Amino acid sequence: MTTKLTEGITQEDLPTWFKPLVAWRVVVAIIVSLTLAATILKRGIEVEGLLRWTLALGLLGAVVASVLAIRWTSAREHRGRLAGFVLDSLLAVILGFVALNGMGMFTGIDAVGEAFNGSVGWLGIVIIGWLVQGYAARTEAPQVALRQVARWTMITGLVVLLLAVGLIPGIIEFFRRAVQPDVLVFWVIAIPAGMFARMGWTDSAAQLFETTESQTETMDGLLFVAPNALGFLAFFAGPLVVSLFISFTEWDGLTAATFVGFQNYIDLLSDNLFLRSLRNIVVFSALAIPLAVGPALLLASLLNSKLPGMKAFRAVYFLPSIAGVVGVTLIWKQLFNSTVGYLNFMILKATEWINALFGLELEAAQPQWISDSNIALFAVVILFVWQQIGFNTVLFLAGMQGIDRTLYEAAEIDGAGPWRRFTAITVPTLRPTTVFVVATTTILALQLFNEPFILNSPNAPAGPANSTLTPVVYLYQKAFQQFQIGYASAVAWALFILIFGVTLLYFRRGGEDGVLSA
Amino acid sequence: MTTLDSQATRHRRRKILRTIGVRGGAYGILILVALAMLFPFFYMAATAVKTADDTFRYPPKILPRSAATATVAGEEVELFNAPIVGGGTEVTYLAESGIRAGLFANLDDVEDTIAWPLDRATDTGSTVVLDEETFPVYDVQVGDESSQRALVRNTSVGRFVAIDDASVESFAVVRTTEPAETVEAQWQNFGEVIELRDFDRSLTNTILVTILVVAGTLFTSITGGYAFSRVRFAGRDKIFVAYVGSIMIPFVVLIVPLFRLIVALGWVNTLGSLVWPFLFNAYGTFLMRQFFVAIPKELEEAAFVDGARRWTILWTIFVPLAWPAIATLATFMFLYAWNSFIWPLVSINLANSDDFVLTLALQTLGGQSGEGPNLIFAAIVLSVMIPFTVFIMAQRYFVENVASSGIK
Repeated sequence: MTTKLTEGITQEDLPTWFKPLVAWRVVVAIIVSLTLAATILKRGIEVEGLLRWTLALGLLGAVVASVLAIRWTSAREHRGRLAGFVLDSLLAVILGFVALNGMGMFTGIDAVGEAFNGSVGWLGIVIIGWLVQGYAARTEAPQVALRQVARWTMITGLVVLLLAVGLIPGIIEFFRRAVQPDVLVFWVIAIPAGMFARMGWTDSAAQLFETTESQTETMDGLLFVAPNALGFLAFFAGPLVVSLFISFTEWDGLTAATFVGFQNYIDLLSDNLFLRSLRNIVVFSALAIPLAVGPALLLASLLNSKLPGMKAFRAVYFLPSIAGVVGVTLIWKQLFNSTVGYLNFMILKATEWINALFGLELEAAQPQWISDSNIALFAVVILFVWQQIGFNTVLFLAGMQGIDRTLYEAAEIDGAGPWRRFTAITVPTLRPTTVFVVATTTILALQLFNEPFILNSPNAPAGPANSTLTPVVYLYQKAFQQFQIGYASAVAWALFILIFGVTLLYFRRGGEDGVLSA
Repeated sequence: MTTLDSQATRHRRRKILRTIGVRGGAYGILILVALAMLFPFFYMAATAVKTADDTFRYPPKILPRSAATATVAGEEVELFNAPIVGGGTEVTYLAESGIRAGLFANLDDVEDTIAWPLDRATDTGSTVVLDEETFPVYDVQVGDESSQRALVRNTSVGRFVAIDDASVESFAVVRTTEPAETVEAQWQNFGEVIELRDFDRSLTNTILVTILVVAGTLFTSITGGYAFSRVRFAGRDKIFVAYVGSIMIPFVVLIVPLFRLIVALGWVNTLGSLVWPFLFNAYGTFLMRQFFVAIPKELEEAAFVDGARRWTILWTIFVPLAWPAIATLATFMFLYAWNSFIWPLVSINLANSDDFVLTLALQTLGGQSGEGPNLIFAAIVLSVMIPFTVFIMAQRYFVENVASSGIK
């Protein structure tokens, strides 16, 4: 294969950049090897423990790849191009990232935030321009002028906004920082790496290495997936593995971590607070999930009736999902207020009304919704159900719109009433949607944090006598208030196992029943 | 024949009645639930423009009320519902206060007392014994009538004059006279809360973070989704399965290591920590991939023949077609970025209010017992204003797309 490839191109035909490319491959191999050495010998690279060995292992792989890439590139094999491309891109991205981070570019949003605060009005102009332009585009021909005006308004707004948030001083500052010696050293490698990666991607490189269509496609694929996959590795997969590792250690976040095996998990089993949080979340879920799902199904079938005004109801029901949990919880905190809150006032009025109607002498209950340890969890249930029910209704409604209308018509001809149609057609056909809705509600319920935390702040986030202590609240307390980071990670994984198990159970059951009914 | 007809009519009428009953019931339930959904928001809007005292009123009243005032002789005066001679009350203003007065009790009923100026009563010289105590008896001139009453103790009253008729006057103890109220919104609450906490900074920070998160996630999800759906490369499907599996993993598992990571990168306590880790979203990639897979191959093949690059094809052919999926993802990320709470709580120092986002600002404000609920509620209104406006304008995308994404 190699000999066949080289036959086509003689020494004279080689492009001028081929020799620099081979030289660059050698340079990369040296750089990677030096970094590996620095990691193992602890010179200049300050990472400790397992992370250092992980890094060393990765770098070892990179050394092997970069040495092989020298051979493959000089022999003009396709894998030389691929390996070189991957190495160069990674080098450019990683070193570019380190350089930008050293320049404070990622934390620079703070400065932008300050400038943005003063110039946010221009953003409004951009949005208005965009909306008007969209409106003009949807109407007939005479609106072309309007569209142009709107477009230029938008562009002007954007330009002024960028200038106002300090685009030009920003660029100047960028270059000023980029030439600082401790940053420049990274750019000196990252920029050529980026250029060689770009060159490796060109058609002339493809010709030189006689790359096939599918090989080009692989390179395209890697390139397209890269922005996502690299971030995914850095901010999801990596932390996930680290999280599991931390859960097997005892760590306060400052001193070195001690490996303790399964001790954290064993301790959890006899930790009264953790068990209390589990009990709370089970009681909470047992109440909140049926209440957030059952009525939603009923409401959805009412909304599905094609009567006028249904879209308005649907929009109203969706509002709590839009409003944001912090604001909504603070509203409810005031409604729950036991002396001046509306909830107790309504209970009082309703009791008076019932007493007057039936001649009874019932005494109105005036519970201390938030501060009574027997009731606090129910207050959270009310709040959660209120917030979740509309969202679930909309999910059910979407599922229902997929049901064949003729089924209902046939049933109606057979004399089935609305209730019968609901139980005999809607409920069974909607099984997959129901499984999905129950599963998402459960996942949300088991991770309950915001509502109890905000209702009880600034006092104990665990609620009166730990009555609203949930696993996530417990995790937060352990990790960020008591700095038992290893233990907190064990709580996280225990919760994950619980969530995973429950979800698996739902989909198993849902799946089997689905097969049986079909 | 006629019996058959009438039977049919009766049947039809019964059916119509039943339909009306069913529909009425349906609307009844729907309206009740809608009221339950809306009431907290009405309450929010009304409380946001109340005075601080008004929020602690019992029994609670929904509309914002404040002390009523009027201009009398070029001066602004507070109004009172003062009791007038002959029963009832009148809207009055306090014309004169600190008038020396006595509390005069009815001779037959010691509980029935009036506070009246001493110069409108004359001492009769006689005394009376009420509840084993001796009191002087006065002739008290109330309006046109005069009556004998016992002076129980001394006090002071104010002279209240009706605003629409200066001849109507009344005396009463100022402290116990009910102030007149009008329904009036305290718009300055919004300005006050912005001043108080740099709330405008939190608002613009949130806008900035949301824009960056939405735009960044759209970009990575579109390129990733395209690669997973339309570009064949080794290991593609295995990576994709790993992506889809990761959707199930709850964020709380990541929160500890992610915090350590941003500490290591030096991003802790900056807005950047709220943006950069959240641009890479497995769910978004999945959503875009599912949409791109369904786009017919012929569309891109024609472009390939013309020699177009994948990059161009993606942005000129795929992206315009995938508008519904993009709108869905943008909706999700908008709601997520705007409302996320636990991560900012962990990552932003509570002393560093320059980097607050709305959720943090609200939480700190709500946790301070010093601020009245009216200011907290004004802040809540400010925080929901933008999501609600966006929702009203793009309701279709919100409701329909959020729903469809769950089912597909």
